This record gives sequence, C-alpha cells and structure tokens, in this order.
Amino acid sequence: MIDSVRGSASLSRAALVRGGIAAALVSFAVAVGAAAPERRYTIAFANAMEEPGVGVEGTGFTGAEIRQSFVLAARTLPIDLVFYDNHGDDARALANAEAAIARKVDLYVQYHRSAAGNAGVAQRLKAAGIPVLAVNEAVPGAPLYSLDNAAAGRIAGDALAQFAARTWAGQPTVAIVIGRVSAHPDRVQGVAEAVRKRLPKVRVSMLETQGNPAQVAPLLAPLLAAQPASKVLIAATDDATALAAKAAVEAAGRARDAAIVGHGVDRSIHGGANDRKELDPNNRAGIVLGSVAFYLDRMGYQVLPLALRMLRGEAIPARTATPHKLITPANVFAEYPPYDMN
Amino acid sequence: MLRAALISALSLAALSASPVAFAQSDCKSVVKASPFGPNDQTGATNRVTPAVTKAAAAEIQTGKVTNMSYPLVDGVPLFGSRFTKTILTATSLAPGASFGENQLTYMEDTWLSQSHVGTHLDGMGHIGIKDCYYNQTPMGKFINQNNMTKLGLEHLKSFATRGVIIDMVKVYQDAGKLKTNAACKKPCIDKGTVITVADLQAGLKMYNVTLREGDMVFIHTGWGDLFEQFPAQNALYNSGEPGLGKEAANWLAGQKVVGVGNDTWAVEVIPSENPKEAFPVHAILLTDNGIHIMENVRTDLIAAEAASTRRATFFVNMTVPKAVGLTGNFVAIDAIQ
Repeated sequence: MIDSVRGSASLSRAALVRGGIAAALVSFAVAVGAAAPERRYTIAFANAMEEPGVGVEGTGFTGAEIRQSFVLAARTLPIDLVFYDNHGDDARALANAEAAIARKVDLYVQYHRSAAGNAGVAQRLKAAGIPVLAVNEAVPGAPLYSLDNAAAGRIAGDALAQFAARTWAGQPTVAIVIGRVSAHPDRVQGVAEAVRKRLPKVRVSMLETQGNPAQVAPLLAPLLAAQPASKVLIAATDDATALAAKAAVEAAGRARDAAIVGHGVDRSIHGGANDRKELDPNNRAGIVLGSVAFYLDRMGYQVLPLALRMLRGEAIPARTATPHKLITPANVFAEYPPYDMN
Repeated sequence: MLRAALISALSLAALSASPVAFAQSDCKSVVKASPFGPNDQTGATNRVTPAVTKAAAAEIQTGKVTNMSYPLVDGVPLFGSRFTKTILTATSLAPGASFGENQLTYMEDTWLSQSHVGTHLDGMGHIGIKDCYYNQTPMGKFINQNNMTKLGLEHLKSFATRGVIIDMVKVYQDAGKLKTNAACKKPCIDKGTVITVADLQAGLKMYNVTLREGDMVFIHTGWGDLFEQFPAQNALYNSGEPGLGKEAANWLAGQKVVGVGNDTWAVEVIPSENPKEAFPVHAILLTDNGIHIMENVRTDLIAAEAASTRRATFFVNMTVPKAVGLTGNFVAIDAIQ
C-alpha cells in the first residue's frame, strides 16, 4: 500500500510546538552563523483510486497520473512523500490514515469520494494532531482543493455559444451535452447555463452514455437525423466522448454543422509535436474547438504548495479551485509543451 | 503632396508596429546579449583559445582513446517523423561496370537524414525564444527554405579543449539516492530526476576537478543504457530522462564552459521542473549563453575509465563539419587521455 517515502501548516498544537522548536533551532543556527538546512516535511497522499486504466473524475486521467504529478511536483520542494491508495473503500481509507499516523507524517492529503469515510479519517487524524488537506471531496475541518465542475462546464458552454453566435448567427441551432451526464450534474448544468445565457432560444438536450464512447454514435445519430437543418453544439463530458462525437458527426456527414468541446484535456486529445492529435496547432480548422483543462495530471503542482503553506503556518483559503481553462489548437502547445523534439 | 507624404509616414509607422519589426526590437529584452560582442555568431567556442587548447593537450598522457559516440544506424531512438537513412550506390560492382584495365570499382552513399539524430551537437540556431535566438538575433530575418543565413555551424571554432566527465550515477550511488529504472541493464538514474548544482559539485569533487573556462562538461546518467538497447527500449528512452535542472544549467553557464553533453536525448530533465515550460535548459545554455549541447553521448566508457584511473579529465577530439547554415549535426567524440 505504501510505495515510497519522501514533505504542514499544521494548525494543531503538536505541529505548532514542532514548528516552534524548529524556528528556535533556525534562530540559533543563524545566530552562530551556520547555514541552516532547509526543513523537509513528510506528506502523505492518499489517492482515491489507482486501478490501471480506470479514469477518475469522469475524465480520461487515471489515478496513477495524479500520483505521478505529486512525484514530479515534489522534486523541487522540501517534501518527502508517502503514498497510499484508498481504492474507493472506507475501511481501507481509515487503515491508510492509521498507517500514516504510525509513520508520524507532517500532513495528510486525503482524496476519497466518500463523506462517511472522510469523517472517520478526519476524526483519527485530528486526534493524532496531523493536519489534513482535502482533495475533490470535503473532509470535516480541512481546507479543500477541488475541481470546479460548474465553472468548467460554463467555459465549455460559453465556447460553444460564442462559436455559434459568430459562425451561425440566425441559423437554427441545438445544443447537446453528451457523456456521463448523470454522474456530473454540475458540469452539465454549467454547460447549459452558459449556452442559454448567450443563446436563450437554443434548446439543450442531454444524452447519457454511462461513460461508454461506443454509445455516442447510437445516441447521436438519430438526433442528428432528426435535425437535418440545424447546427449542432456538442459538449462532451470527457475527451473520449468528444472524439467519439466527432467520429459520429463525420459518419453522419454533418461535420459542417457541428462544433464540439470536451472536458479534461487528457493525452487522448492532445499530444506532442509529432503525435498529430485532435488539439494540435496544425489542426485549427477542426470541429473540436477545444477541451476544458482539468489538470489532473498536474494536481500535485497545485496541492503540494498549499500543503507547504499550511505546514509553514500560513493561512490558506477554505477552498481552492482548479484554474480550468479552454485549451484549443491555438494554445495547446503553450499549455502542454511537447517534449518529443530534442 | 504633403498629404501623400503624411500617408507614407503613417504607413511606415504602422509597418514598424508589425510583428516582424516587433520581433527585431524585442529580442533585446527576450535574449541576453552575447559576451562576445554584438556581431558574434560563434558562441562559447570563442573560449577555445590557443592557450586553452595547449593546456588541454596536457591531458594526453597515455594516449588512450575512449569512444563517446553511439552508432548511427536504423533503429536507434528517434522522434516522430525524424529519420536517418542511407542508400548505397554500388553500380560499378555490376558485371562489366568496373573502370579501366585495372577494373577499378567504387561505391558511395546518399545520406538522407535529419541533423539532430544520434550523437549530435545542437548549434546556435537550434533553439530560440519566440523568434529570438542567440545574441538577440531576430531569426525570422535570417532563414530561407534551405538553411539559416546566420548562426550556422560554419561559424564555430574548434572544440579542441579539455573535457570533464561527471559520473552522476556514482554520485547518486555514493549518496544512497540512486533510484534506477528496471529496464536499465546497468545502473541508471531514472527519468524525471533533477540534477542539481550540489550534484554537479559532488561529481567534480569525487575526482578533485575544478572546472576551467573553456571546458566541455559531460554527465553520465546511465540513461544511455536504454539507447544501447535499441530498438527494444526506444519508447522508454524517449519518454523522459534524468537531466539538468535550470539552477544547474545556470551554474554551468557561470563556469564559462563551451559545451554540455550527456547520455540522454535532451541533456535536461524531462519532464521539466515546471510542466508549463518547454526545454528551459536548452534556452539557458544555447540561446542565452551560446553554450553548445551534445545529446545521445556515450558516457559509460569514459565514466568507467575515470573510475579506474581516478582521472575525470581528457582532451576532447570532436569535429563539426563546416555545414553552412545548419542548426546542428551528428558528431563523433573521442576522449583522449
């Protein structure tokens, strides 16, 4: 369960005492003119799920990619990491917290999609004086870093609506949200809100695929056939669905009538200089306008600096949201620099 | 007439604000000025003076030559559309095609290749920020369909200087922090590992070496073991690498070295320290400091030699063709001790 070891604004008394001692030692070292070594912290990251190939948060990213982002981010920080896999299981999440307590970690990053499980973990860690930083699901008493699904949806919806207003003004237009619509109501609602804000007359329909891209064409084709004279705005809840929607639209001969935006920006939709993926600077006329970045492959770079601030006694916001952004062929290389060109 | 002149003046003013003009003037704020003067196209090889070469020659004590190049052949790790291909012309071996009474025959090659393949050198024209290259050169003005008209390899001086091998594998082993990759047959530092200033200094201290102005620095990471296994480990080799972080690159630039090479495909750590930055070490060394980068260098043999002889310095034997307007080229490197 634990893979490697190596980085709290602990607000607990124990941590404050530890911090005070450390501060006193630093003062002493400065007083005698010695170079004080930078204090290193041990931070535990209990990941939600690391099942190979299983996407998280309704995107194409895996738990392993999230974990790797912590490894990479820690390289330049005074942090040693301890990893746990909660595996979506409350008992396992609690056992992981117990193991981290026994290991005397300085801070615990908890990523577990269970309110009940998180309550138990919070209770144990609080008793042990270990501060907690929650990821994507609230933990009682802990600051939260999380995706903002509603904001991401609004970015996607607005991109589609702007495109329609610019390109198809005055033409009959429909909007579709397709993918895991029931699992991500905030994301879906965000899309619908943004489309209706700019295009109040456009009807927004939902198509549920249960996350199976193979269901996209069977669901989309009849709708396209029923709307032969309409332009179609498609918001896909993930990138695999966006690519499947593109294929379905092309198969229906309606590529000129459609615009698509995905969510996630995983490697299936963007690549390196030689990958020739959908979001590519050389593919600016494609019908996939872009995808809203979720940065799950960079989560460590967002979370660990917050954890360090906590450990150093700084105040952090009760909630910090992922800075979602629309990634298009025009900015994909700036946002995800390719490194397959030495 | 006056109106026409005003219109012309306004048009000129508008042109001066165009992107081309912007790039030209902006390069002074984008790229550092060369320490070798505003017209310099030679870069750090300016440091290879006769005195530097003469001092380096003193490194030749036993005459032992150690190869530092990998073979350039079909199947070595390349990227995407990159290729290197040879075609042999052997027509005179056909019956009756030999020349003269003495039946002389000949063969030659056509080499179709991109220049940044195998063991190779990155020239001044390889990397820029926007369209600004070494010595604040607005490169958009100095390219045509075939080559660059500025900063080409023909401007480089000789690399006849002292080389220094830093055995980073040994540094990491001695520090008890080596995390090798299971695919490496010999110990290697895993991809994504950031080589720091402290690491470099530890490697130099290991063999009591102090860097001198004009040195070429080679770093053995062990990652080249995957290159040697071509084609089996090409995908892994290309998927990332251990290498220099920005701080270490700036430190090396401060040592006024001529070039930096190692047994990886980009010399710098991949993925980068900041995931939103592209090849920052390339820009530090090449674009800002005119320091050459050598990639896919075979470093294991000279690292082993240093371990057995306790000598980590040598005379560098490396030639770069006077290839006009090229951004880089494959090179052969030998270490002579």
